[in-house]
Amino acid sequence: MSGASVVTQVGDGVYRVEQDGRAEVVYVAGQPDDPWAFWNGQVFRGSFGETPPAAPRPRAHRAVVQSLTAPMPATVVKVLVEPGDVVKKGDTIVILEAMKMELPLRASGDGTVKAVHCREGDLVRPDSVLVELA
Amino acid sequence: MIRRLLIANRGEIAVRIVRACRELGIESVATFSEADARAPHVVAADRAVLLGPAPAAESYLAVPKILAAAGAVGADAIHPGYGFLSENAAFAAACEESGVVFVGPPSRVIAEMGSKINARRLMERAGVSVVPGETPEDQSSDGVRKALERVGLPALIKASAGGGGKGMRRIHEAGDIDLEIDAARRESQAAFGDGTLYVERLLENPHHIEVQVCADAGGRTVHLFERECSVQRRHQKVIEESPSPNVTPELRRRMTDAAVGAAKASSYRNAGTLEFLVDLAGGRTDDAAFYFLEMNARLQVEHPVTELVAGVDLVRAQLLLASGEPLPWNQDDLAQRGHAIEARVYAEDPTNSFLPQAGRLLLYREPNMPGVRVDSGVAEGTDVGVHYDPLLAKVIAHGESRGQALARLTNALRAFPVLGIRTNIPFLLAILAHPTFVAGRAHTGFLDAEMPTLVGGLSHEPPRFVREAVAAAGTRARETRSTPDTSVATGLDPWERLRGWRL
Repeated sequence: MSGASVVTQVGDGVYRVEQDGRAEVVYVAGQPDDPWAFWNGQVFRGSFGETPPAAPRPRAHRAVVQSLTAPMPATVVKVLVEPGDVVKKGDTIVILEAMKMELPLRASGDGTVKAVHCREGDLVRPDSVLVELA
Repeated sequence: MIRRLLIANRGEIAVRIVRACRELGIESVATFSEADARAPHVVAADRAVLLGPAPAAESYLAVPKILAAAGAVGADAIHPGYGFLSENAAFAAACEESGVVFVGPPSRVIAEMGSKINARRLMERAGVSVVPGETPEDQSSDGVRKALERVGLPALIKASAGGGGKGMRRIHEAGDIDLEIDAARRESQAAFGDGTLYVERLLENPHHIEVQVCADAGGRTVHLFERECSVQRRHQKVIEESPSPNVTPELRRRMTDAAVGAAKASSYRNAGTLEFLVDLAGGRTDDAAFYFLEMNARLQVEHPVTELVAGVDLVRAQLLLASGEPLPWNQDDLAQRGHAIEARVYAEDPTNSFLPQAGRLLLYREPNMPGVRVDSGVAEGTDVGVHYDPLLAKVIAHGESRGQALARLTNALRAFPVLGIRTNIPFLLAILAHPTFVAGRAHTGFLDAEMPTLVGGLSHEPPRFVREAVAAAGTRARETRSTPDTSVATGLDPWERLRGWRL
C-alpha cells in the first residue's frame, strides 16, 4: 500500500520524510538509546524500533514490589512513613517540592515500608529510590 | 528619564524588559542567581550582577542584595517584573527610601491592594461591586440564615478566620440549613480556634475577565480594555485572550468605567490590572453582573495580548511613567484592533499529573510566522531547573478575527519543537481544538470539567515516518561517533548500521 520512504536530514536535528509524494518534517534529539522526537505538536520518546516493548525493570523481579523514586530533582519536604509502617494504596508516603510546587508521592499498592532512603531537607536526584515497600 | 535600570527578575519577563530598555536608550542591568549565569536574560542585558545561590530566597527575593547591586552599579531605577518582589510593599518602600525609582505604583498603594479587606473596602467606596458577602453580627443560626437571605442563594458558608475549604458549606436551597450551619461552625472552631462564620454568594462557573489600566504621576488614568483569562488550572492561567468573546460593548463600558474609577479612587500609578469575576449564567448580556476579585499592582504575565490588540508597548509605558512622563496615549486614541490569544508553555508533563519537568533543552526552536510573537526566557541548551516557575515561553498570536488568531496560535504551537523535557504544548493544542474553547464559552470550571477528555487523547504511538526519522538520526549519530576512529569503520556490519530502517 505504501512505497519506499526517503529520509533527508535538512538541518540540525531536522528530518524530512517523504513517502508516496507526501512529506513530513520530524525533529529528533537525544542519545540513540533515548531519543526524543517531535512532529506537528506531538512529542514521542523511548523505543521507536521494531523491538517489543522494553523488558520490565530489573527491580520488579525482586521481592521489593515497589520503589518510590523521585520523578525529578526535588527537595524532600516531608517523610510520612517509617520502616515497618503498613501503607495502603494511595497513601501519601513522601512530599517533595520542586519549582515551588509540592508533589505528593503515593503508594501504588498496599504494602509494608521496608526502607526509607531520604530525610526531610534532602535534595534528591531523578530516579533515586526514596522509599522501598515490600 | 531613567538612565540605568536594574531588573530584579529572571526569565522571559527580564528579557522583555531589557528589550524595552534598548529601545528607549536605557542601560539595562540584569540580576541573576548562580543557576542562571548563562541564562538568556543575562546574555541580553548590558550588564549583569550575581545575587547569590539558586534558591530565590538567597537571590531574586533577597532585598538587601538587590538594593546593594543597584547601589554598586549606580542604577537609578528598579523594575521588579511580575512575581518575586513585584508586589512586596516593603521592597517598594525600601527603594523609595534609598532614592531609587521603583517601576510600579507607590508602596502605599501596593500595601493597600495587598490586603484583601482594605481592597474590598476601597472598591465598595468607589462603587465597584464585590462578591456579596458579610460576617453576620448575629452569629446564631437565625442570624446566619438572615445573612444568607441578604447575600442571596446559592451561597457559601465559610470560616471567617481562614481558607482552604475548612468549614466551607455550599447552600443551594433555603430549606433545612441549621445542620449545615452547625457543622460549619464546628469545623471552623476545630480548624482555626474560631467558629465565626462568613457568608458569601456562590458564583457558579464565573468567567475571569480583567481590565488593564495605566495612570501617570498627575493621576490621569486610562484603561486598555479587557483580557479574558478563564482557562485556568488550579488558579494558574493557561490561555488568555483579548477582546473577551463574552463581553458586549455595553458590558465593556461598564467594566472599564469601574476599573478606571477604582484606580483613581486608590490614587493608582503606573500599570495595573483589576481582576473581575463575571457571572454569565444568564448569557452574554449587557447587564451581566461582575464582581471585583483583586487588583494586581504590577505588570501581568499576559500583558502581550493587550499590547497586540491595542497596539501599545506596556513596558515602555511603565518606564516612561516611572520617569515622570505623562501617559503616552489619550483614552480616545486607544482602540481594540483584531484579536490576540496567548498560550503559556510550561515545563510540565500533562500525561503525568502535570508534574514540573527539569532537564536540558536538547532541541528548542521557536516558531516564526505571520502574526505570532514568542516571549521566552530559555534557549536551546538551557538547563531548566527546579528552583523557579516552570514557565518557559509565551506564544501570542494576533489576527484580524478570533478565528484567525486561533488558527495562527495552533499553527505556531504545532511548529514549536521542544525536546529534552516534557512540556504542555500537546495539552495546549487539545484546549485550542476543544469545541467549548473554539466557541469562546470556556468558564473558570472548564479545564477541571474537561480534563479527562483533554489529557485522554495525548498519548500516541509514533507514526511510521517518525520512527523512520528517529532511525535515520540514530544511524547518523553512530556514524559520526565512529568516524574519527578509523579502526571501527572496517569492523562495522553495514546491516547493523542500518538497523531501524524500514524501506
